[in-house]
Amino acid sequence: MARRTKIHVGLEIGTSKTCLVVGEVKADSAVKILGIGETKTAGVRKGEIYDYSQARTCLKDALAKAEDASDVEIGSVYLAITGSHIQGVNHRGTYRLPDGEPVVAPEHVEEARNIARDVHIPPDHVYLHPIVRNYWLDGLEHSISPVGLFGKTVEADFHVVHGIGARIQNSIKLVREMPLEVDDIVFSPIATAQMALDREQRERGALVIDIGGGTTDYALYLGGVITASGCIPVGGDHITNDIHLVTGLPFSKAERLKVTEGDASAEPGRSVGTAKLTDDRGFAEIEVNRSVLNEVIRQRLEETLRLVRDRLPVGSVESIGAGIFLTGGTSLMRGFSELAFEVFDRDIYRPELPEISGIQASFKDPRYATAIGLIRYAQILESERATPPGCLGKIARMFWPFGR
Amino acid sequence: MIPYNRDPQQVIPNSAVKIIGLGGAGANMLERIALDGLEGTALLALNTDVRTLSSSLAKEKIQLGINLTKGLGTGGDPELGHQAILEAEEAVRAAIQGCRIVFLCVGLGGGTGSGAAPIVTRIAREEGAFVVIFATMPFVFEGKRRREQAETALNELAVLSNALVTFDNNRMGELVLAKQGIHKAFLAADHMICESIKAVIRLVIRPGLINVGLDDLMSALRTNRSRCLFGSGISKGKDRAINALRNALSSPLLDQGALLRDARTVLVHLCGGEDLTLFEIELLMQHLQKFVPETAHVLFGAAVDPAMGDSLSITLISALPEDSLTMAPRETLSHLPAESPELESRQSSTVPVAKKKAVAQSPLPEPTEEDPLFAGADKPAAPSLLSEYRRSLAGSTAEAPTLFDQDSPFTEPELPSIPKSTAEDYLAGAEPELESLPLNTEIPETPEPTPFSPVVAEFVAVNREDSSEVYLEEEPSPEPIEKDENFYNPGPEPTGFTPIPRRRPAGTTPWTPAKPRPETTGSSAQLSAPEIPKLKLDTKFSTPQSELAFETTPRGRFEGADPSVIDGEDLDLPPFLRKKK
Repeated sequence: MARRTKIHVGLEIGTSKTCLVVGEVKADSAVKILGIGETKTAGVRKGEIYDYSQARTCLKDALAKAEDASDVEIGSVYLAITGSHIQGVNHRGTYRLPDGEPVVAPEHVEEARNIARDVHIPPDHVYLHPIVRNYWLDGLEHSISPVGLFGKTVEADFHVVHGIGARIQNSIKLVREMPLEVDDIVFSPIATAQMALDREQRERGALVIDIGGGTTDYALYLGGVITASGCIPVGGDHITNDIHLVTGLPFSKAERLKVTEGDASAEPGRSVGTAKLTDDRGFAEIEVNRSVLNEVIRQRLEETLRLVRDRLPVGSVESIGAGIFLTGGTSLMRGFSELAFEVFDRDIYRPELPEISGIQASFKDPRYATAIGLIRYAQILESERATPPGCLGKIARMFWPFGR
Repeated sequence: MIPYNRDPQQVIPNSAVKIIGLGGAGANMLERIALDGLEGTALLALNTDVRTLSSSLAKEKIQLGINLTKGLGTGGDPELGHQAILEAEEAVRAAIQGCRIVFLCVGLGGGTGSGAAPIVTRIAREEGAFVVIFATMPFVFEGKRRREQAETALNELAVLSNALVTFDNNRMGELVLAKQGIHKAFLAADHMICESIKAVIRLVIRPGLINVGLDDLMSALRTNRSRCLFGSGISKGKDRAINALRNALSSPLLDQGALLRDARTVLVHLCGGEDLTLFEIELLMQHLQKFVPETAHVLFGAAVDPAMGDSLSITLISALPEDSLTMAPRETLSHLPAESPELESRQSSTVPVAKKKAVAQSPLPEPTEEDPLFAGADKPAAPSLLSEYRRSLAGSTAEAPTLFDQDSPFTEPELPSIPKSTAEDYLAGAEPELESLPLNTEIPETPEPTPFSPVVAEFVAVNREDSSEVYLEEEPSPEPIEKDENFYNPGPEPTGFTPIPRRRPAGTTPWTPAKPRPETTGSSAQLSAPEIPKLKLDTKFSTPQSELAFETTPRGRFEGADPSVIDGEDLDLPPFLRKKK
């Protein structure tokens, strides 16, 4: 199907940075990144906005930069959201075909889906995604909709992500005030996984852990479908904070120390002597015992990874075949892969970002994984939208090639 | 070393506690209790249905209505249940004989439960046992008839029993998530009932550091036709005090603590491992204040049990008059005079009541603070006055009072270290207050100082001389002062009273002779146990404790953010510091 190129924009308001990625999806569904707009974020803590005016300023700045870099006027974005209130649950809906209708009709599947979506969520929560995992027909698994097949019972297996409605609405409101339209909201780890995992890895089983500034998001894929997702409100900021609390250094120095000297592996060889920060004249400004520094970092990260592991369904870590993919800024920590291996005992990867052209350097950076993943998500969503543009749509596209 | 034997008066041997499961639902609860392993208590199953009876885990079983139902159930007819128990009355009586406390677990609404429970209760009461009933009410969907049967039985039980804990099945949903299985819901209900029984037993059997015994339990539960409010929580790790309290308040019987707002008497019992700190107790009690009305009578107890390990359990027991569940949502201070007669009938002749009454009748509008322990909450004047008092009278350094307050309830050595002169000064200084009370309020039953030793009389005389105006200006703070003096009882000792052991035998009789104060009319065991914690609370509010600030460990940039607590661990604190402990 010949299609025009489309431009998608992914927006992530992270705890440490606000990042807009402008991507062009070509007709052959290759993705080209046109530009990235990034600023440091203020007013966001643990993935949730607590100071709206500051966050708004940051978003404005990032938007201007992104428009500058990509030379595109941005009208609508895909928004990644996170926060410890968001959680994913699996639910299955069963629908028994009425007598005298041996063939599964679309409305039967729809009914099963509705039942599956009907998860008991707390009253203040709203659904983010009902993601279909797979269908079952009379106990047999079907990865696509079993419409037209003979059978008695249709089951739909859903992964339902839900979170507190008010907080999500506030994030959307912030973006709307730019003014920007929000095409869709996506739970961060799901967006990240679009980017970090290919089909084969999902098939074999993979876990994406996105350790950002304020939160650790994870998504587990087993047998090609999402099995668990969630968010733990701990991130790189906590490490800085820990260093600050333990050593008494100011935040800025603690942050620099973490980035330049920290090591998360338990290797004793890397914890010898003192870590020094030099000021601009080359004098040693502060000295911290490396064993203390590394221990603070390691314990924090180890605890975080263990929390992730404990939240996964029982026995699922063992069935991860492809490995564990670490993204997010904190995954750049030295020795982190060793630590993750120690905790999960699975292969550890930093995801490579294939098949994307553009400003290469940015894509290698795990810090942009989520925002780029959003483009991918948009692309998939676009192709999934069942109805191909009709006659009217085609005419409209001739005049406005970039619209939806 | 002189062995000091704690007064065993309030300690009830295990063998004198019996748990009775009546009917099908009762059998289920009993099973839960047996499975949870309540050490040493005797279990007795009563049922008409011989099948469930034979599968029961209880050691003793009595089949009801052998001739009447012939081993079948009652088919939901309370009349049958009633006759069945009458048939087996002798056997039941024999089984209950000698018990001090009987817990009766029953599901109301059915035949055996509704019909037999009142009779069992009566038999147990006749045998002199303290009867606590744990009753579940049927679901709404079980129909109006069953509901009515249950209500009828409940009304009877409320009159007959010493304490009644009802658990409404309709509220079972609050215990478990909606998506969990039905067996989980019932399990949770049984579990909660079991927990409450355990907590009550723990309370009664184990002597505490600050003891609460059967008498306190009775006074907490003693309102006729009452519904028991019960909450029990256990927690370990950091913030365990607050978490335990939160767990306790989340009990469906407490309705997130909202129901406590109407409580008149609240029994609070803490049990912790050997690392239980005074500070934790204070923190917890401070939080509890938010839920308990200022006027409530708080009976506080604490126990240290090495078996608790690093966990802390809190048990809240209180009773609401049944009508207050439906009407009169909030009690205000202005209602108090009207209510005081009832209070009195409830706990006649105990000192707190006498005092309450006195204050309630007092013409002064402002100091109608019934209970000094809550005085600090909204009336800072009195405590500050108190501390001024201390400073001037005790002649000690500025921080001395606070030292007292924090430590004395628990550390014994502190008491003897009070200089005698100080104590005497203290007494002397406090005397106008004591006197002022009877004068002002004119309670007929308050005896004049005469029955007491001449020393006190002398004090009174001296103070009478010195001043009408002194007591006038100090009028607002009679309670705290009086309380204080009450606590530092070693004071009167040198003046020729019966010597008392220095060690504070919380809530036990040796305390009695050391309380010769004008208002003391009797029932001293009751008095001393609640008094001590009162003082503690009072002082806690009077002097803002510097220590309390230590609780909030610095969180760096997450200061003020809503904490992320997972599994009782505050994730905002460095694991490096958390795990080092």
